[in-house]
Amino acid sequence: MKALKVFFNGVLNENPTFRMVLGMCPTLALTTAAINGIGMGLATTFVLVGSNLVISLLKSFIPQKIRIPAFVVVIATFVTVVSMIMQAFLPELNKSLGIYIPLIVVNCIILARAESFASKNSVFLSITDGLGMGVGFTLALLLLGSIREILGAGTWFGMPVFSDGFSPAVIMILPPGGFITLGLVLGLLNKLTGRAE
Amino acid sequence: MSEGMRMSIKLFIITAVAALALGITHAVTEEPIRLQNEQASVEARKGVLPDAQEFVQVDISEYKDEYPNVVEVYQGKSGDDTVGYVFKVISKGYGGDVELFVGIDAKENKIENVSIISHNETPGLGAKAAESDFLSQYTGKSAGSPLAVVRGSATQDTQVEAITGATITSKAVTQGVNSALEFYSRVLKDGGAE
Repeated sequence: MKALKVFFNGVLNENPTFRMVLGMCPTLALTTAAINGIGMGLATTFVLVGSNLVISLLKSFIPQKIRIPAFVVVIATFVTVVSMIMQAFLPELNKSLGIYIPLIVVNCIILARAESFASKNSVFLSITDGLGMGVGFTLALLLLGSIREILGAGTWFGMPVFSDGFSPAVIMILPPGGFITLGLVLGLLNKLTGRAE
Repeated sequence: MSEGMRMSIKLFIITAVAALALGITHAVTEEPIRLQNEQASVEARKGVLPDAQEFVQVDISEYKDEYPNVVEVYQGKSGDDTVGYVFKVISKGYGGDVELFVGIDAKENKIENVSIISHNETPGLGAKAAESDFLSQYTGKSAGSPLAVVRGSATQDTQVEAITGATITSKAVTQGVNSALEFYSRVLKDGGAE
């Protein structure tokens, strides 16, 4: 039961993108198409689960005062190992997710979850938290990527959604479109959930 | 033992284990990664010159100053026959370097195919250059004369239609192709190189 709560906490209540507003750099840079959102989301989920697992195992070994450098070393090592293994043995997966993996090191969601969850909870709950946060991040990126791709390119997952008469607003897949979409979606969600003052 | 000492030792253990893990992974994956990359680039070369069975790299170091855009040249062979050449060229686009492969059919003296390896062009505009709608224009063009970019419809065989809103990118790709054509005509054609 607790695990379910932890999982949905990541997807909804503490959604990394829309609630905690973490990891904005990959969010803005990569959501030019729906498929990119899924790719980055899945790669991040994978690393989140792994780093939460390792940090949770090491939580009693790592001294409180130097936990941040220790976390950074663990996360960077994990990401590098995953990236090398993918390049060597999973070329197909590497082709679709490989470019996102190095970017994950600079994604602060990973460090935030290590610090605020995995270093205080059991291994099982930490893995669940990693999954929940990862799914929440993936869904958020998918939503932003879909909006931008549909408006900016007139396609969804590469398939045309409008008749030929539609001329796409290219600005939506350029950097300004990222800020505009994120701002509008954030505002709308706050309005819907009654968070706006 | 003081607290500082204990923390130092623990952090040292963590980094040492991390370094060990990275070292082992590197040792295990180095060879497979090299093979994967090699296979990927062979496939990319095959993409622009499908008739070739194997590719032999041509030494182009003496032409470096004259043709700075031509980075690598491969002779495509089928048995003992030379079917053509693959050029890796770099051209300056709108958002940075555009890297492309140009395959030239040596028997018919025409461009076999062009593919873009990497670019930083604007999504939705210049990035369309990497799509086959644009690149297929080069296929079948004569390798003998340089190509020009035109806006609107092409009226001559040596013309390539620019992508709407991305003339700079279209020109960059065409210039890259032209430097490969020039290199081919001046250096390689009629047994210029081995």
